[in-house]
Amino acid sequence: MFDWKLILEAIGMIIYATFVGFIFMGIERKAMARIQRRIGPPIYQPIIDTLKLLGKKESVSHGFIYDFGPIFALGASITALLFLPIANFQLFSSNADLIVVAYLLEVPMLGIMLGAMSSGNPYSAVGVQRGLLTMVAMQLPYGLALIALIQYYGSFKLSDIVALQSLHGWSILVPALLIAMVVFDIVFQAMLGLEPFDIITAPAEISMGPMVEYGGKHAALLFTQHAVQLFAETAFFAILFLGGASNLLELLVKQIAVLFIAIFIASIYPRFTIDQAAKFFWKWPTILGIIAVLLTM
Amino acid sequence: MSENDGFISYELQEFKLFEPLFRWARKKSLWIVAFCTGCGGIEMPPLFTARYDLERFGMMPNPAPRMADLFLITGYVTPKTLKRIIITYEMMQDPKYVLAHGSCPINGGVYWDSYNVVKQLDKYIPIDVAIAGCMPRPEAVMDGIREIMRKIETGEADGWKRYRENYEWYRKNQDELFGEGWREKDAKRWLAWL
Repeated sequence: MFDWKLILEAIGMIIYATFVGFIFMGIERKAMARIQRRIGPPIYQPIIDTLKLLGKKESVSHGFIYDFGPIFALGASITALLFLPIANFQLFSSNADLIVVAYLLEVPMLGIMLGAMSSGNPYSAVGVQRGLLTMVAMQLPYGLALIALIQYYGSFKLSDIVALQSLHGWSILVPALLIAMVVFDIVFQAMLGLEPFDIITAPAEISMGPMVEYGGKHAALLFTQHAVQLFAETAFFAILFLGGASNLLELLVKQIAVLFIAIFIASIYPRFTIDQAAKFFWKWPTILGIIAVLLTM
Repeated sequence: MSENDGFISYELQEFKLFEPLFRWARKKSLWIVAFCTGCGGIEMPPLFTARYDLERFGMMPNPAPRMADLFLITGYVTPKTLKRIIITYEMMQDPKYVLAHGSCPINGGVYWDSYNVVKQLDKYIPIDVAIAGCMPRPEAVMDGIREIMRKIETGEADGWKRYRENYEWYRKNQDELFGEGWREKDAKRWLAWL
């Protein structure tokens, strides 16, 4: 028999995350506009954009994999979301859900790449090549930051990490984990696809990167996926380093704080080229990550 | 043409219930395909910078034609550019609008005597709103965009529908200018030089 309560909770969480994720995307555009002394779009602008994309009367498809890519990406982001302890309830849990979430947050990129490659556009191919290289490069510091965290707390469970933080104070109060947070924050910029690591979409440089062939309803799916992904990633950051949250409002405040750091970095730095990004990821964040791991031993 | 039959009954495929909502959304989020034709190209960036900020209407310059809704033709159109314009226009997905910006797309402007400028763009792709001026001030462009928003709201901006319904006529004009099979010829043009 179905567990109706669990299903309803999951649906409620997905709706909440999508809505808040869209508002986060709006905050991102609005804050960047204010930094450039513009008025900027209204804060609910991404919702209107998605509605418009859903209302398109034509959808170009390049075959089954092209349709499947965005759905796969959206599914992976939703799964990552369901494993996170949002406020004080966690829908699904396993013994190693930190690793599960860390990898599920990478999978949507692969889904987009899968769809983009099947469109056969050379701009998509260049975007995919850049995206995969960024992913490979950022795995090393990302892994080191998580290893430092796991070694310090001695647990792979996100709920344990939140509980330990509520007992002993936030992670960033520990010097070693503060270094790990700096490393994670650099990687976070690439995970969100913001400058200086927005080499994957690279607007105006390689058209739109992998998303160049997506339009209409496919693009609406990708927008929704980005909203869910943004919510899940900021929540993951808040859970790991800012002590989780006991209610949704507290979580929201922490997520927005994390988001604003990302926006402020993104709005003043230009874009790295792909070789510079790979070099950068394997130099400074990796050194800092190794120091963090050594300090927690 | 048999494959064109499906397009003519487009009105029937509309979601009648949600149509006002979608019309409002289309009006509020026009994405411009960043295709700068001629001298009007330098009139585009001031529209999106701090002084005349068009992003407050939800507009965004978009480098990919598949996601875009609004096509700004900003200046004279040579036959060589017109081929690219037609291909980009056909890549855009269906509620799509064209705003002709400046005098040249309307009647050739100062290039009325040129052998290499397309005098009347409306013969090749359907135009929804035209703004006169050489160059128009950003306020004039914003006024044209207000007009196109009003037309989207009332459903008068139907260039994409006209292009579907009168495709034979537009195709005939394009073929008269470029000659039959210009798409294939243009794609193969560079093969000899590789």
